[in-house]
Amino acid sequence: MIDNAASRDTVAIDEAVHEIYKQLTEGNDIASVPFRTMKDVFMWAVSLGCQQGKRRPLSGKKVTIFRWAQFSPQIDIPLLKALSIADSGNVNVLLSQDEILTIAEEYANAGIYELRTNVLDQYGQPLWNLVSNLSTQ
Amino acid sequence: MKLERIILENFRQYFDRQRLDFARDNQRRVTVIHGVNGAGKTSLFLAINWCLYGRNVENVKVIDNVGELISKEASNRATIGERVRTVVELTFLHNGERYLVRRALQSTKQKDGTVSLDLSEDFTMMRTRANGQAERISNPIGTMNAILPVNVREYFLFDGEKIDNFAKPEAAAQVKQAIYLVLKLEILDRARRHLESAAQDYRKELKQTSGGELRNLIEQEEKTRAEREKAENRKVELEQESESARRKVAEIDQRLRETQNAKFLQQQRDLIERDLKQRRTELDSLLSQIRELATGAYFIIAQPAVDYAIQILDGKRERGEIPSSIRQQFVQDLIERMYCICGRPFTEGSSEHQHLLSLLISSLPSSLENDVLDTSAALRTFSDHAEKHRTDLDAAMRRRIELVDLIKELEGKLDDVGRQLKGSPLEEISRLERQREDFQADMHSYTLEIGSLTERIKQLTRVIADLMKSIDKAQKNERHGRLLGIKLDLAQRAADAIREMYQIFADDMRTRIEAKTKEIFKQLIWKDSHFQDIQLGPDFNLEVIDRYELPARPELSAGERQVLSLSFITAMSRISEEEAPLVMDTPFGRLSSQHRNNITEHLPNLTDQLILFVTDEELRDQARMNLQPYIGAEYRLNFDPRTSCTEIAEVSND
Repeated sequence: MIDNAASRDTVAIDEAVHEIYKQLTEGNDIASVPFRTMKDVFMWAVSLGCQQGKRRPLSGKKVTIFRWAQFSPQIDIPLLKALSIADSGNVNVLLSQDEILTIAEEYANAGIYELRTNVLDQYGQPLWNLVSNLSTQ
Repeated sequence: MKLERIILENFRQYFDRQRLDFARDNQRRVTVIHGVNGAGKTSLFLAINWCLYGRNVENVKVIDNVGELISKEASNRATIGERVRTVVELTFLHNGERYLVRRALQSTKQKDGTVSLDLSEDFTMMRTRANGQAERISNPIGTMNAILPVNVREYFLFDGEKIDNFAKPEAAAQVKQAIYLVLKLEILDRARRHLESAAQDYRKELKQTSGGELRNLIEQEEKTRAEREKAENRKVELEQESESARRKVAEIDQRLRETQNAKFLQQQRDLIERDLKQRRTELDSLLSQIRELATGAYFIIAQPAVDYAIQILDGKRERGEIPSSIRQQFVQDLIERMYCICGRPFTEGSSEHQHLLSLLISSLPSSLENDVLDTSAALRTFSDHAEKHRTDLDAAMRRRIELVDLIKELEGKLDDVGRQLKGSPLEEISRLERQREDFQADMHSYTLEIGSLTERIKQLTRVIADLMKSIDKAQKNERHGRLLGIKLDLAQRAADAIREMYQIFADDMRTRIEAKTKEIFKQLIWKDSHFQDIQLGPDFNLEVIDRYELPARPELSAGERQVLSLSFITAMSRISEEEAPLVMDTPFGRLSSQHRNNITEHLPNLTDQLILFVTDEELRDQARMNLQPYIGAEYRLNFDPRTSCTEIAEVSND
């Protein structure tokens, strides 16, 4: 079990990429703005960063975008734990929520650019780009 | 993209408000607009271009050297100080959704008789939802560009005078450019442009200095607040007008239901409208479902890392570390007491003591052990989740295509009913239907403007909040870090690398277009035995090879060049799989009757929607007969030399 009392529970990103998160979540048109929550953008960015094997420590000013409680216990938390175990090769990483978050944030900090390229910089509407991104996996 | 309707208000020679509905049935997909020279064909063609793209977008000139867009008649009739509005509004369908695009100019009559523009062009794009409400699209230029990029438009909306350009010997660069644009090779170019513009921003930022603009900010806040109030008042007005139009449509529907000869058709329309509403609602909820599935599918991407984590966890199990057979607390108690389970004491450093210590190290705290077991169990379900997720998403995407088709079909049926009522020999029915159409067009316009105002009010509210913050921060404007220089260098180098990749994609597309152009050219040309082949070489020269295997382009007549160009354009549109209308301004002027006949025979089947601006001479005899079964709407542009105004009149085909 993670020692929550001593851990931070906010998820942060670099201020420089905040605009991409906003672009992907702010608006009513589902096809042009596919994401409902910043949490989902973050999880996509984490997964893409991990898939590409890219991590980028946060540098510069940070922006908090949501809290740990927003992660789903069925998928998100086991997934973040799995990525930490795969990254460190050691299950002891589960003792530190801080460490799990740092690993996730660093993957997301690299993966968000991948997400932008795949979804926003492509011809066509972002939602369909996201779907086709999945079908190529 | 399929064009549904255009409304012009005081645009060039189109005085007042005029409307034209385009044919867009699968069967009857051709709209013919007749006009003698100078009647206003090109102005109407221009109106479509201007409405969608303005005078220029992203440095692409859309409208050039065309003089004034504001109706001279409207300017002339206006009194000094009176405002003249010039508006073009287009409604089109794209991927099962209806879009409304409107571009407007507002000007004021001056004392010297001229008019001066009050504001820059106002461009609004709306999308209507199933519930009938319109929502403003926040990034209209980007959205329009995704539907039909400005650079691509000239290959779908093209000027008959320039049609043979591609087949001219000096046209290689143009052919290459067309392929890049239509076949989406522009994506790479756009990525490069993004990076270059980022580099440019960094440059600007480096140069910028901050200054105290407090007064300026306060003034801006005041102005913005006044503008918001005005928009709110206008919105209330429009909501009332829209409600009144809606009631009038309902009244007409009721009258048609009660009229003997229209009853059946109106009932049919009621059923179709109900069905259409249901389908649109279903499409909307399906879209939300697809969104949920797609945005929640990240765990599929991370599956390899999950598999690796499971492998690590399994390793722990296999080595017996999880679950550990002996509880950590129990081992710790034994060490503290220095007694074995059997009651025998042991000493520090003894083999028993050593063994207990090693057990303590290799076992996990019970809390972590539980976490490991829970995580492991959860991760094992991921691959099943992924499978189900994919299946659900595939099914939803397939259903979406079905629904989009179904909606198109229902809209076609709805148009049919409208057409039949409008064409009724009973004047009363025909008149009611026309009135109904007018009210509906008004409602579309009101909805468009209401949605636009709602967004504007929201936007102004945000601007006010930002201004208030800026006022607070005004004195704190400080310079940025030196990192900008490094970022600038990086962005520029990345842009250069993409430029190199740009070329690689061209070859594959070139080969595919070559094959398709050949296929279409053979259908359209009458001397097909003489011309044997079409080649599109690496230098992008479009070449016709004759039966002697010799390049024949220099010998092509103007008409044959036109056919070659047309083949190339339609080939590109087929390969690109874009659903876009083909709008042609005086396309057949230079063709012999044989070519004209071949083209009119095949062209309707090469495009999803065809809009032709023609003179009477261009379209007669066999050519006219060929097109006849496909014509769904026909208009005549009546130019009145006394007022220099043109009126759009529908030509009845019944």
